[in-house]
Amino acid sequence: MVDIRETSAAGGASSRRVVPRLPALVAGVMGSVASPLISFVIVLAIWSLVSALKVVPDAIFPSPWSVASAFAEMMENGVFFSDLGISVSRAATGFVIGASLGVAMGVLTGRVAVIRTVLNPFMTLLRPIPAIALVPVAIVWFGIGEGSKYFVISYTVFLTVWFNTHHGMEYIPDIYLRASQSLGASRLREFFQVVIPAAAPHIFAGIRLGVALAFLSLVAAELSGASSGIGYRLQESRQYIRTDRMFALLIELGVLGAIVDTIVHRIGKRIVHWQQS
Amino acid sequence: MSSNIAALADEGRVEIDHVSIRFTSKKGDHLALAETRLQLEPGTFTALIGPSGCGKSTLLNALAGFVEPTAGQIRIDGRPVDGPGPNVGVVFQQYALFPWFTALGNVKFALQRFGLGKTELHERAMAALAEVGLETQADKFPGQLSGGMKQRVGIARTLAYEPKVLLMDEPFGALDAQTRREMHDLLLRVWEKHKATVLFVTHDVDEALLLADHVHVLSRAPGRIIRSYDLSASRPRAISRDFPDLLDTREEILALLKPEPAEDRGDVASVS
Ligand SMILES: Nc1ncnc2c1ncn2[C@@H]1O[C@H](COP(=O)(O)OP(=O)(O)O)[C@@H](O)[C@H]1O
Ligand SMILES: [Mg+2]
Repeated sequence: MVDIRETSAAGGASSRRVVPRLPALVAGVMGSVASPLISFVIVLAIWSLVSALKVVPDAIFPSPWSVASAFAEMMENGVFFSDLGISVSRAATGFVIGASLGVAMGVLTGRVAVIRTVLNPFMTLLRPIPAIALVPVAIVWFGIGEGSKYFVISYTVFLTVWFNTHHGMEYIPDIYLRASQSLGASRLREFFQVVIPAAAPHIFAGIRLGVALAFLSLVAAELSGASSGIGYRLQESRQYIRTDRMFALLIELGVLGAIVDTIVHRIGKRIVHWQQS
Repeated sequence: MSSNIAALADEGRVEIDHVSIRFTSKKGDHLALAETRLQLEPGTFTALIGPSGCGKSTLLNALAGFVEPTAGQIRIDGRPVDGPGPNVGVVFQQYALFPWFTALGNVKFALQRFGLGKTELHERAMAALAEVGLETQADKFPGQLSGGMKQRVGIARTLAYEPKVLLMDEPFGALDAQTRREMHDLLLRVWEKHKATVLFVTHDVDEALLLADHVHVLSRAPGRIIRSYDLSASRPRAISRDFPDLLDTREEILALLKPEPAEDRGDVASVS
C-alpha cells in the first residue's frame, strides 16, 4: 500500500497538486512508440517462464526457443520462403480480383437504383457465409489447383469491398452533388471528380478490410487441397504434431498480416489525405 | 420577347411568379413556402430575412434549380428555370468546397465547362483567387483553410464563371464577427465589379441592412413576404447614428421578427 502511494506520488501521475509534466511526456512517448515493444517483451517473458516451469510438455506448448529453432529450420530448408511466396501470391491474386469486382459492383449497386433493387438482397444473404464454407464448392468447381484458392479468397474480398463501396456510393452528401451541378459539371465529370472522391474513404475502408480477409480466407483455402503455402504447412505440422512449427507459422501469419495492413493503411491515408482534416 | 431594350449589362432579371413549394413525405404534405411573388432587377442586391424554417433556403434552392416549385414559375431573363444552369451561381453556408481539390482545383472545377486551354484555365482560376485575396493560398486544401478563407474560395469559385445571378444562403453565418465584416467588404467589392443580381439569405438584420438595396422580411413558416424595404443609403454603411434611416428600419424588422410568446411555444412544439 505505502509503496504504491509513494511510487505514484513520485511519478506525479496521480498527484493533484503537482502538474505531471515530465512523467506525462515520458508516458506519452512510451505509449506511442514503445508500448507494442513492451507488450511483446512481457508476453515473451511470461511465455518463457511458463515453458521453463514445464507445466505443459514442450510438444504441446512449445517454448520460445523451440519455436525459434523451428523458424530457423524452415528458413534453412527453404520452405519458409517458398511458402511465403506462394501464399502471398495467392492472397494478392485473390485480393486483386475480388477488390476490383467489389469496387465495380459497389459502384453499380450504389449509384444505379435498378441494380440496387435487384442485387441488394443477395448482399444480405451472402454476407454471413464464412470463407471456409465455400471450400467444398470451390473444389468441385475449380479442382484442387490454384483456381479454387483464388475463388475462395477473391469471393471473400469481393463481398466486403462491395458492401463498403456500395455504402460510400449510396450516401454522397447532397451538398457536393448540388455544388457540382450548379458549377456545370457533366454527369461523367461529376462521377469521377465528385462521387468517386467523396466515396473514396469508404472504398479504402473496404479495401483495408479486404486485405485482412484475404489472409483469413487464404488459410481456409489452403487448409484443404493444397501442397504448399503457409496454411498447408500448418496442416502438415498437425500431422507430425509439430507444435513448434505451428507456432512459428502462426506468428508468421500474424506478422505478415500486420505489415501488409500497415502498408495499406499508410497508402490509404496518402490517397484520401483530406480525410484527417 | 421584351429584349428590345435589354443590353448585355441588363441581364440577370429574376421573376418569382406566384411560387409555392410543398414537400410530400410519408407523414403527409408540408408547405415549406407559401405563395411568393418577387422580382429582382438586374444588378441589384436583395436580402431575405425571416425566422428559421420559414422556407428561405427552399426558395433559394428553387432559384438554383435544385428544387421544383409546386406551383408558379421562376424565370431568369424570361426563361423558366428547369435545373441548375450557368446563369446562376450558388454560395453555400457550409462552403461546399470539394476537400479533395486544392483551393485552385476547386476554382478550376467551375471553369472546366468552358473547355479552356491549360494555361488559360490556370490563369483565370488564379485571377479569381486573387480577386478574393487568396492567390498565395492556391495550393492549400480546404481542410487547411480557416472558415473565412473557405468562403472566399467559395465566392471565387462561383464568380469565376461570371453568373448573372448570385444566390447566397447565409454564407457568413458560421463566421466570427470580425471575419464577417471583412467578408461584407469583400462581397460588396466583387459585386460592384461583377454586377450580378444578388439574393442573399440571412438571419442577421444588420447584415441585411449593411449590404442590400432591398430587404424582404418573411413570415414564420410557411413563409411569405410580409414587409419589404428599399434602402437608398450609400455604401459603405454602418449601423450607427450616421444612418438614422437604417436604425429605424432595423427597429421595425426586429419587431417583425420578434416571436410572440404564446405562438412561439406552439411553434416549437409543432417543429419537434
Ligand atoms: N428536401 C426537403 N424535404 C422535406 N422537407 C424539407 C426539405 N427541405 C426543407 N424542408 C422543410 O421546409 C421547411 C423550410 O426549410 P428551409 O427552407 O430550410 O428553412 P430556412 O432556410 O428558412 O430556415 C422546413 O420545415 C424544412 O424542414
Ligand atoms: Mg436555411
